[in-house]
Amino acid sequence: MLHALFGILGILFAVALFVDVLNAHEGNYRRIKKLSSAVAILIVLAFLIGGYWYVAYYGADREIIKAGKWPWAHNYFMEVKEHIFFSLLLLSIYLPIAVHGVMPLNNTKKKNLILGICALIILLGLFMEGAGGIISKGVIMGLGR
Amino acid sequence: MTMNNSDMGKYAAGFGLSLVVTVLLNAVILVIKEISTPFMSAMKAALGHHWTTHGALLIIVFIVLGCLFSATRIEDKLDSGKLLKYTFWAVFISVVIIAGFFLPGLNVAATIKY
Repeated sequence: MLHALFGILGILFAVALFVDVLNAHEGNYRRIKKLSSAVAILIVLAFLIGGYWYVAYYGADREIIKAGKWPWAHNYFMEVKEHIFFSLLLLSIYLPIAVHGVMPLNNTKKKNLILGICALIILLGLFMEGAGGIISKGVIMGLGR
Repeated sequence: MTMNNSDMGKYAAGFGLSLVVTVLLNAVILVIKEISTPFMSAMKAALGHHWTTHGALLIIVFIVLGCLFSATRIEDKLDSGKLLKYTFWAVFISVVIIAGFFLPGLNVAATIKY
């Protein structure tokens, strides 16, 4: 699904940004700014596409999951995922604002702020992907396959 | 002339503090809508789905608070070290509240067929 793809790309760009900030110097400031914007755009796309799919189509899947062998795939993982996602979205939107606001990255505190935000985006993003996998498996279990 | 002790711009500081507040607000809204049927109904009625209203509300609050905080010279009181600490704890507390709230839904043992 497209929202999972954009989510994975967002995580990968956040990893690339993390590494770039660790090795920040004048030569990669432009790339750091571009990467931070790319993370925000990708996660916002994941939000819009995933959100549309969730609101328009997830209802049928939810009934299958809840009637199946893994009801907790919805009752826990979907409920947690759909709400923790907002933290990921807000962190991603804030990321380019922070990067532009702390430039140049000439001290440890400034770098740590960007590294910390990237790390939170990566960790929450990985949880989204894992929870998405469990929810998909919940549908399969509900269909008795 | 005013002194500026900050190591970041006004928008990074203002929207950073807004991020902290909004991330915590996310968990608060979740708990209120799950325990209050009228609040949940109002959120569903507002934009057709409680999750859509929840998301829209958070984005609006993030933008409005970000603009307000950015206009209050918050960057003079907040450095990037403090902001990282506040952000980390806000995300941690929010995740614990959300993951903890739905813990009863993780009743795996009841669904295992022996």
